[in-house]
Amino acid sequence: MSSDDDRVAELAGDDGASLDPADLEELEELRALLADPSVWAEPDASLEDRVVSAITTEASQRPGRPVASRPSSRSRRGWMLTVVGVAAAALVAVAVSFAVRDTGSSSEQFSMALNATELSPGAAGDATLTKTDSGWRIELDATGLPRLDGGRFYQAWLRNPAGVLVPIGTFNEGEKVTLWAGVSPRDFPVLTVTQEDADGDQASSGKRVLAGQIRA
Amino acid sequence: MATRFRDGDADAVRAIYREYGRLVYAVAHKVLGSKTLAEDATQQAFVQAWKAAASYDPARELGPWLATIARRAAIDVHRRELRRPAVALDDVAASHPAVVSLPPSAEQAYDVWEVRRAIDELPEDERSVVRLQHLDGLTQAEVATRLDLPVGTVKSRSFRAHKRLAGRLGYLREEGP
Repeated sequence: MSSDDDRVAELAGDDGASLDPADLEELEELRALLADPSVWAEPDASLEDRVVSAITTEASQRPGRPVASRPSSRSRRGWMLTVVGVAAAALVAVAVSFAVRDTGSSSEQFSMALNATELSPGAAGDATLTKTDSGWRIELDATGLPRLDGGRFYQAWLRNPAGVLVPIGTFNEGEKVTLWAGVSPRDFPVLTVTQEDADGDQASSGKRVLAGQIRA
Repeated sequence: MATRFRDGDADAVRAIYREYGRLVYAVAHKVLGSKTLAEDATQQAFVQAWKAAASYDPARELGPWLATIARRAAIDVHRRELRRPAVALDDVAASHPAVVSLPPSAEQAYDVWEVRRAIDELPEDERSVVRLQHLDGLTQAEVATRLDLPVGTVKSRSFRAHKRLAGRLGYLREEGP
């Protein structure tokens, strides 16, 4: 028997000498199917909550559709874990303040304090989020963030309780930055700023330098 | 369940995801070859399935219907990636969707669905042996060492698993080109 036959026979867990050619052929084709890495790929555990959130959000916005039932206790735990902080950069503190201001126009507005993380202990800032016809304009003003250049930059995100991240802009320095969001901070109440590299990976690096939250 | 899913009921959506989410993801990953993009496509696929739920015929098998939606969602993501600003080819990973050739056919996508489902139906002890043999390319002796099991046990589990899979997936080979 050839070495390939030996390999196929080994997969069968049997003495290769007892397998007939039809069995060997079937196992060889099966091996090709099972070697596809896509067959074994696993999504992140948070994808479930993201899918549920995406659908229930759309469903609640449709006229005449029932509002989604309350989330499972597992997603509530997941939401709390998301808020308290996960992965490498735990939040040092989550001091929250917000105010709804009367700007003299009909615009809805929030403000929030942004707090430092272990990655940037000297940073601080605030953000004002104003609703306009074009979306939510976010004016961010932060100190203590060193300038990033040469393919490195800061990126801001809004995040909902299910952990869905919406990118709202990139910048090099934190002072007097204007960002834009197409989602409401009522639905995405957490604002984070991360350090990023221009590496083609659109996902958040997870390297949070600032974070703030609208109190529910 | 279908009615509650169509209405966007969170528990129904969660139940459908737990039943089919990993299968949808496997199809998306087959098309895109990227974990992040496959997750995007999976989310899109479920949203699209929800939007199309009112037109879904309950007499049809849900699996093939979802697999089709998954493949289409993944191709949409693939096309979106192709439209991104051009960068030097040397700067692009070989696995980037823009570099990969044409997306898999519908038949190939559904093959992935069926293989994944067959694997998920294996007992955990057999599935772990099969994964180490095929994904990691280990010999039975290496599997035995990795799992801290006698080689004879690994052989038995491997044999049972492959017999189950061959029985479950034999029709895929018969329908191949």
